[in-house]
Amino acid sequence: MTESREDIVLEVHDLFTNFYTFEGTVRALDGVELFLRRGDTMGLVGETGCGKSVTARSILRLVEPPGKIESGKIIYNEIDKQTGEVKPIDILSLSEEELLDLRGEKIAIVFQDPATYPNPVFRIGDQIAEVVLLHQDLRYDVIDMKIEKLEKSLQGESDPDKQVHIKEKIEYYRELRKDPPEPDKKDAKAAAFRRAVNMLNLVRMPSPESIAMQYPHELSGGMRQRALIAMALACDPGVLICDEATTALDVTVQAQVLKLLNHLKKEIGTSIIIITHDMGVVAETCNWVTVMYAGTTVESCATKNLFTRPLHPYTDGLLTAVPKLHENKERLPQILGSVPNLITPPSGCRFHPRCAYATEQCKSVKPKLTELEPEHWVACHNPLN
Amino acid sequence: MKLRDFILRRVLLAITVVFGVLTITWILAFIVGDPVTMYINENTPAEAIPAIRAAHGFDEPWPVQYFLYLSNLFQGNWGVSGSSSNMPVLEILALKFPATIELAIVAMIFAIILGIPLGIISATRKDQKIDHFTRIFSLAGVSMPIFWFAFMLKYVLYYYLAVNNLPHLPGGERYDTSTYLDFEFITGFLLLDSLIQGNIPIFLDGLVHLIMPGFALGYLTLAIITRMMRSSMLEVLKEDYITLARSKGLREKVVIYRHALRNAMIPTVTVIGLAFGGLITGAVLTETIFNWPGLGRWAVRSILFADLAAINGFTLLVAIIFVTANLIVDLIYGVLDPRIRFG
Ligand SMILES: Nc1ncnc2c1ncn2[C@@H]1O[C@H](COP(=O)(O)OP(=O)(O)OP(=O)(O)O)[C@@H](O)[C@H]1O
Ligand code: SF4
Ligand SMILES: [Mg+2]
Repeated sequence: MTESREDIVLEVHDLFTNFYTFEGTVRALDGVELFLRRGDTMGLVGETGCGKSVTARSILRLVEPPGKIESGKIIYNEIDKQTGEVKPIDILSLSEEELLDLRGEKIAIVFQDPATYPNPVFRIGDQIAEVVLLHQDLRYDVIDMKIEKLEKSLQGESDPDKQVHIKEKIEYYRELRKDPPEPDKKDAKAAAFRRAVNMLNLVRMPSPESIAMQYPHELSGGMRQRALIAMALACDPGVLICDEATTALDVTVQAQVLKLLNHLKKEIGTSIIIITHDMGVVAETCNWVTVMYAGTTVESCATKNLFTRPLHPYTDGLLTAVPKLHENKERLPQILGSVPNLITPPSGCRFHPRCAYATEQCKSVKPKLTELEPEHWVACHNPLN
Repeated sequence: MKLRDFILRRVLLAITVVFGVLTITWILAFIVGDPVTMYINENTPAEAIPAIRAAHGFDEPWPVQYFLYLSNLFQGNWGVSGSSSNMPVLEILALKFPATIELAIVAMIFAIILGIPLGIISATRKDQKIDHFTRIFSLAGVSMPIFWFAFMLKYVLYYYLAVNNLPHLPGGERYDTSTYLDFEFITGFLLLDSLIQGNIPIFLDGLVHLIMPGFALGYLTLAIITRMMRSSMLEVLKEDYITLARSKGLREKVVIYRHALRNAMIPTVTVIGLAFGGLITGAVLTETIFNWPGLGRWAVRSILFADLAAINGFTLLVAIIFVTANLIVDLIYGVLDPRIRFG
């Protein structure tokens, strides 16, 4: 990857993450490589257990014991809003304290299962407001709220003396808005809650004011998922990771949510990683794809390229396994063999026991991800074609 | 609001349960012995018994008797205690109740104030030194019999120190009765009464007297709360919504004390409610060992004298306390967990 850091918002190099279990060390991530271009929607695909979620959690350093990130580099390239300069942030070397500024503000995540993710004992609105309060500058919001309130009372006021008084007050706040002071806690909370309602509105929630006052168990799965997306987007993160955010939903709701995501991307200017094992979702929503296999990155290219010209034997197998409507086959073809045990993973290329193109070299030498064709990265000793 | 309906429903339920308890105690008294024994003692001449029986309606058919029993209870006629010079049971209960409740509340405060933080620390520092210590401490609490532990405490902190002329804790009683001869109770709660009268020395003396029995009584509850808090905290910290809270960039302190604690408190509160009822029964032993002039000691004496009216009264009171404690738990539960209110 030779591109400038302005184009790439997030890059992961040679990432290793292990889980230390009783049965042995699970080598879940084995040198993952990926990058996300600014403004892209990237699909991260692969069979179950290949390490998609662990990659997502590693990016935010949310891997919990017995898991541990062993080595690698994860860089978030932040663009300074004032100077326009690119500032690379090395996530793995951040202190716990600095990490708090990254999570939720620069990189946000929406998890797999909407049933278990929102905290059951807090109102939806409060849960969204919490993250706003944590990361956002609410000074302007507070003043705007006060002005709005005064303008409303001005309309209902008939006494000219009082009207003048209210107008003076509005003027005072307008002046104050040029350099607003730190708001007190109560005002900030109210402003954060107002933003939460706005966010719920943004994700097309019907009657957002009343939804904000409700508890998670009072919402349907699809609504909860939208609430989680609203929570993740509340601080305009540079990167949004959706870990199977739509898998638990039925097909129509899934389509709605995906459409919504792509729409919001333009509005907020977020780059998105969509983790899924649904190639249909990838084809419809992503312009870039990264394919993972058993903890490694095997292929990365534009979506169109991947579907028309896969170079890695595993990707090829993955695509032929997708049913097509116009074909009428007795049985769907599958990739022979099963997902390897990650406690004793295969040597060399982790795919070699299942690969029809495997050679002696594949058993001992791990292939490196290289740009075989322009804009098309593959990790294979004997790529297709 | 829906919360109001919830409260109303729970209160109605509690009243139903109290009725159930009243019925069961009546049936028990009916089965176990002749209910007339509540109103007689060894000095009652045998010829007088039929008259007493008739006077209390014990020769009537059972539905009438049941009705009489209930109406007596509601009119405050809980029988007389033969073993306490024929004083009305309700009067004795009212007299002895504050001492026991005061002891139980102190025990509960010990248990909650120590138990909840210990449980949290133990869970968040799982398998570290402090966790091992806490687990041994709480295991000892649930496995040691309360009377043995109370005796050991008394032996070391009172007897052993006293015979060696060292500063020691008082061995019993609510306050130093020989020093404060003229102390008058108002409500029956020593700490409260001494404060009302501005009598700080007695207040402090009362506190010192509460330490040993309070801790002895509370240790079991403390151990139960600690264990419950630890395990439910560990459970909650594994939940997905905790990962979500962390992913928002919240500080670990906020994650634990705002997002995890409230959820982990839900099962713990249940245990606290049940334990409070248990404390009143536990007081029977503690009060006997520490010479505490409360209900427990009186109940033990009543049992020894086969004083049925007294035993019946004590049972009823304990049952009512149990039900009340559980009602309070239900209400706290509803506040803590929004899912319960509609269930
Ligand atoms: N807490 C854990 N303890 C032990 N092993 C784990 C743990 N979490 C993940 N793993 C291992 O890491 C590997 C990758 O898991 P991961 O959850 O990232 O898969 P995934 O690609 O997200 O799968 P899915 O599509 O089913 O969500 C798996 O082999 C799994 O066994
Ligand atoms: S490196 Fe070898 S084993 Fe691995 S995918 Fe390529 S051909 Fe197959
Ligand atoms: Mg996953």
